[in-house]
Amino acid sequence: MKLLHEPLSGRSQAVLGIVGTVGAAAVWEGVIRSGLLDVPGLPLPSGVIAGVADLVPDGTFWDQVLFTLGEWMLGLVIATVAGVLVGGLMGAFSSVFLALEWPVEAFRVLPSVAVGPILVLLIGQGMLPLSLTVALSCVWPILLNTMYGVRATDTTAVMTAKTFGNGELAVLRKVKIPSALPFAFTGVRIAASIGLLVAVSAELLIGGGNGIGGYILENSANATNLDLVYAATLVAGLLGVLVNLVMAKLDDVVFGWKKGLAQ
Amino acid sequence: MTETSAATAGTSAELLLDAVSKSYGDNLAVRSISAEVPASKISVIVGPSGCGKSTLLRIISGLDNPTSGQVRFEGDPVDGVPEGLAMVFQDYSRSLYPWMRVDKNVEFPIKHLPAKERAERVRFAIEEVGLTHKEKLYPWQMSGGMQQRVAIARALASHPKLLLMDEPYASVDAQTRADLEDLLMRIQAELGITVLVVTHDIDESVYLADRIIVLSSPPSVVAEVIDVDLPRPRDHIATKTDQRFVEIRSHVTRLLRSKEPAATA
Repeated sequence: MKLLHEPLSGRSQAVLGIVGTVGAAAVWEGVIRSGLLDVPGLPLPSGVIAGVADLVPDGTFWDQVLFTLGEWMLGLVIATVAGVLVGGLMGAFSSVFLALEWPVEAFRVLPSVAVGPILVLLIGQGMLPLSLTVALSCVWPILLNTMYGVRATDTTAVMTAKTFGNGELAVLRKVKIPSALPFAFTGVRIAASIGLLVAVSAELLIGGGNGIGGYILENSANATNLDLVYAATLVAGLLGVLVNLVMAKLDDVVFGWKKGLAQ
Repeated sequence: MTETSAATAGTSAELLLDAVSKSYGDNLAVRSISAEVPASKISVIVGPSGCGKSTLLRIISGLDNPTSGQVRFEGDPVDGVPEGLAMVFQDYSRSLYPWMRVDKNVEFPIKHLPAKERAERVRFAIEEVGLTHKEKLYPWQMSGGMQQRVAIARALASHPKLLLMDEPYASVDAQTRADLEDLLMRIQAELGITVLVVTHDIDESVYLADRIIVLSSPPSVVAEVIDVDLPRPRDHIATKTDQRFVEIRSHVTRLLRSKEPAATA
């Protein structure tokens, strides 16, 4: 029997994806070359790819990429630790939830990038203020997901732990947090993408020339280097895609037991 | 440990319910329940559905407080979960931890012990329930009956003096259920644990029990306490065709069928 929508094979999926991407780039290239759109500074896909080719052997560029990655990871780690801890406590204890609900709601809407300059004032230039800016934007999805995950812990699972003599804190540590971790990790996945965006944005603002953002900022001062700027932006985007792939794989491997969560 | 339980078995009850009542607001769930659960025996609480059996078990395990009355475990009033107690729930899939493999689930209650003793206890408990070589599976990769065996092994690993079971076999098929009933009786006989099972299944109550505590419909009281003198080891064919089994079974059925709550209190 033929299904109404049979899933395509992995190979045709990949082929379609490539056709779409290359097609879109080709249309864009045509639009600009034909003079249909005539705005100075618009990138030609072929020029951007040439720019990437120029970047590849450029050691200083890769140093900046590594800087951004390090800054982003540090921020994400800080956000994960803080988010899981605070979110876990908020989910487990209503007193903690009530005490922190308003502060969380207030800080959550702060544009983290705007906090960056204040952080530089407080702790000086360097990677730390950038990472903290990243952490400030990453912590919320992790915190909220952990909180709801902890609240969703199965009551029988909790009672089981209690009958084995575990108090509230032990139950939180041994049962509620582990069972909330897949939820928390979904938060980390969302935060990872946000974090990379914020990392590059923060570098444009307070990077002091460091990171991909700093590289873009310095080269965009020179109009002849625009292809290089677009190329660096493209690399930042590809980095995001790569991060997402790694996270999805990690989710599968580490939280494969999610399949066993009681319905 | 066996010495003390042998010494106290004849003289005092392991578990004593003294006029235990529980109400939720105006709703009286259990009304003044008094009963004795003898040490190193299997006792079964049987009652119609909704008679507060699970409520009672939560109170006995210290997870919930009675509105009035008292539970005594080894002579001490229960206030919070007492040491030496383990509970097996009906919902094995929710009671077992899906992120832990079988051996880690069984090890859960004894994490504070030295590694060597932990490993020994886990090995023994898994062997007792017949799951050797299944240690590295996740519970959700197993059948319902096997998962409930894991839950029983986990309880055994904690070396309980009192094993509470809340409708433990209500979610497995009939054949598995019969196997698990025999497994429970064999383990109880081997280890001399005090077992208290809650069930709505009359057959199961008579088959398993040394003592049946029959509850009335809510607000529940103890309708009758029946000491079952059927010989052990019991067997699904021989025991269930025994004239005494049929008599007790009919008697319990009549008790549960009677509409009015029994007058005894």
